[in-house]
Amino acid sequence: MQLGDARTGKMADNMVGFCRALRRAGVPVDSARMALAIEAAMCVGVSRKDDFAAALEAVLISRQQDREVFAQLFASFFKNPELAQKLLSQMLPKAQEAAKAPKQKARVQEALTAVRTAQQAPKKEEELQLDAAMSASASVRLRHADFQNLSASEFRLVERLARDMALPLPQVPGRRTHAGELGKRMDWQRAMRDATRMGGELLHIPHRMRRPQPLPLLILVDISGSMERYARLMLAFLHQATRRVPRAVFAFGTELTDLRMAFRLRDADDMLDAANQSIQDFAGGTRLGAALTTLRTAHRRCLVGRRTVVLLISDGLDTGEPQVLADELAWLKRHSRSLLWLNPLLRFEGYAPLATGAKVLHQHADGMLAIHNLSELEQLAQAIAQLLGTRRGQMPLSSSWRAPASSSQDRRASTAMSHS
Amino acid sequence: MTFEGSVDDLIHALASVGYQAERRLATAVFLSLRLQRPLLLEGEPGVGKTELAKALSKVLQRQLIRLQCYDGMEQREALYEWNHAAQLLHMRAAQDRVASDQIEREVYQDKYLIRRPLLQALQTPAPGAVLLIDEVDRADEPFEAFLLEYLGEYQVSIPELGTIQADTTPVTLLTSNRTRDLNDAVKRRCLYHWMDYPERERELAIVRAQVPQASQQLAEQVATFVGRLRSQPFANAFQRGPGIAESVEWAKALVSLDTLQLDPEVVQDTAGILFKQREDVAALLPLVDELLAPDAA
Repeated sequence: MQLGDARTGKMADNMVGFCRALRRAGVPVDSARMALAIEAAMCVGVSRKDDFAAALEAVLISRQQDREVFAQLFASFFKNPELAQKLLSQMLPKAQEAAKAPKQKARVQEALTAVRTAQQAPKKEEELQLDAAMSASASVRLRHADFQNLSASEFRLVERLARDMALPLPQVPGRRTHAGELGKRMDWQRAMRDATRMGGELLHIPHRMRRPQPLPLLILVDISGSMERYARLMLAFLHQATRRVPRAVFAFGTELTDLRMAFRLRDADDMLDAANQSIQDFAGGTRLGAALTTLRTAHRRCLVGRRTVVLLISDGLDTGEPQVLADELAWLKRHSRSLLWLNPLLRFEGYAPLATGAKVLHQHADGMLAIHNLSELEQLAQAIAQLLGTRRGQMPLSSSWRAPASSSQDRRASTAMSHS
Repeated sequence: MTFEGSVDDLIHALASVGYQAERRLATAVFLSLRLQRPLLLEGEPGVGKTELAKALSKVLQRQLIRLQCYDGMEQREALYEWNHAAQLLHMRAAQDRVASDQIEREVYQDKYLIRRPLLQALQTPAPGAVLLIDEVDRADEPFEAFLLEYLGEYQVSIPELGTIQADTTPVTLLTSNRTRDLNDAVKRRCLYHWMDYPERERELAIVRAQVPQASQQLAEQVATFVGRLRSQPFANAFQRGPGIAESVEWAKALVSLDTLQLDPEVVQDTAGILFKQREDVAALLPLVDELLAPDAA
């Protein structure tokens, strides 16, 4: 060891203080890592500052997002402890928040920038009792009433009902197997166990079959002015209905907002509050093309292989460039299993996608589904299953599928002609 | 065999087998060897994570054992499997000679055990192995749980044979392309290093080492060009920028075309080596002049 005893004692204290500062900044550091960090520092030595920093970083950091936090705190802590104290005191209000909701991380940059004015959270909904005496016709009316036309209290009731609805999405065979007689692969382990009992004879060949796996979802919700009620209801519905499914949720208006952290919360009201706070451009315009570009550059990893089903919830009233939108949709289609457009404007009889954005979407989407009332939501799972049961470019089984207007693919065009 | 020496010695040793490591990476590797912890390398594809494992195995004179992960990988493919067909034949052949419980003992013998990479790494004779678990983010959650157990103890229990412990702990490197976040428990078990693309000097050293026929001038131009491609504002125009392997291939191609100096035409002709997507090649063409402009030093 190069340092004298007194200084090693001080270094250990400094290290512990630094680890605590990291923890307050949201980096998960526990006491075992702290001990390992001290051991690592002694291996590497403190003569070279960059080596020391690299050693601490290798031990304490486990995500790429935390590296900047680490760099800033290291620079301030080991150069100038007072500056570190100032940083930490600025972070204290956030630290209290972090104590309540440990998943939310306070960043050092946030501590230095001005406090963002949080969006006003929606009022807490009162407890609603579903009136048992509500007449059959009233409940039927509620199931078929368009969300836009409901009164405020009725909308709250309908939202509550939507949260309890299930969405049994189709599952695909995964790569893992379990014992099952319908499979094609032989189950050697069970066969051997049986055979050892029978002296090498196999009376019956056991099989393995593939385990069904849910398809990952990528949900893009339009939160522009015209979509306000639908967006809120769809978020609540999908949050509860797709809990078992790996999903990534983004909201877009004029920019793209990541809602994955909000969707990790268990309660739908908390999720809506968190979504409200993170979305900055509620009730603005729509620029889907720009949002998809951001998705492609920054969040490309949400598309898992080519299995992801993309649910695009929008009315297609887009104000961006149609060519950009077309290119981005083509890219999205190449990297996903299915692109489904959930369109609330289908509430109008005889709706045809005439707006530029809507035309491009209609051309590229693999299917257009209605979501404007509760009964449509109930049938959503079935409709998705039907659409997913067909491969792209082939004739679907159901005649309720709306064909794209003009398509360069011959088979689709010919079938479209026969249907529309 | 643990590595004796300092971080500098490790850097020189890696350079002597052809791997130019930056100091941060060498420190992380050094700590992983000293503290006997696995090292998790995350980074974009093409920054040299797998190459590091190969170089490290040469430096430490250990055998490199590679486990390529994929979705749905099971213990059967990663750890061990019994050779059931051979066992069945043995049983049929022995059924008249031997009693049935004796058959069972004979059948579950060492020679019918197919050792997969993780078990091989435990049983490699001295000086041990370098275990590379490649693209661990492509494996699924149940595999990660199993891996956590393995990395914690470095011992495996096979029900029919007993517990197998490592003679020498393997040096473990995990790589991830960050297509998804790994389990926290696995990350806690490992040290972590994020590998960035190299900066210009290191890229130049790599190109010169891998392509010795290239002139100094050409190597410098290649390094500058690729460095600019990866930096802002050009990086936004491309979906997948060139990695280190692509820049080395490009240098080799330029040498084989007898290029002495980069000009727009040769860049356009060889763009397919740097970029593998049509849109990226199309996006490169208008930017070539700007990229080739000499440094305003």
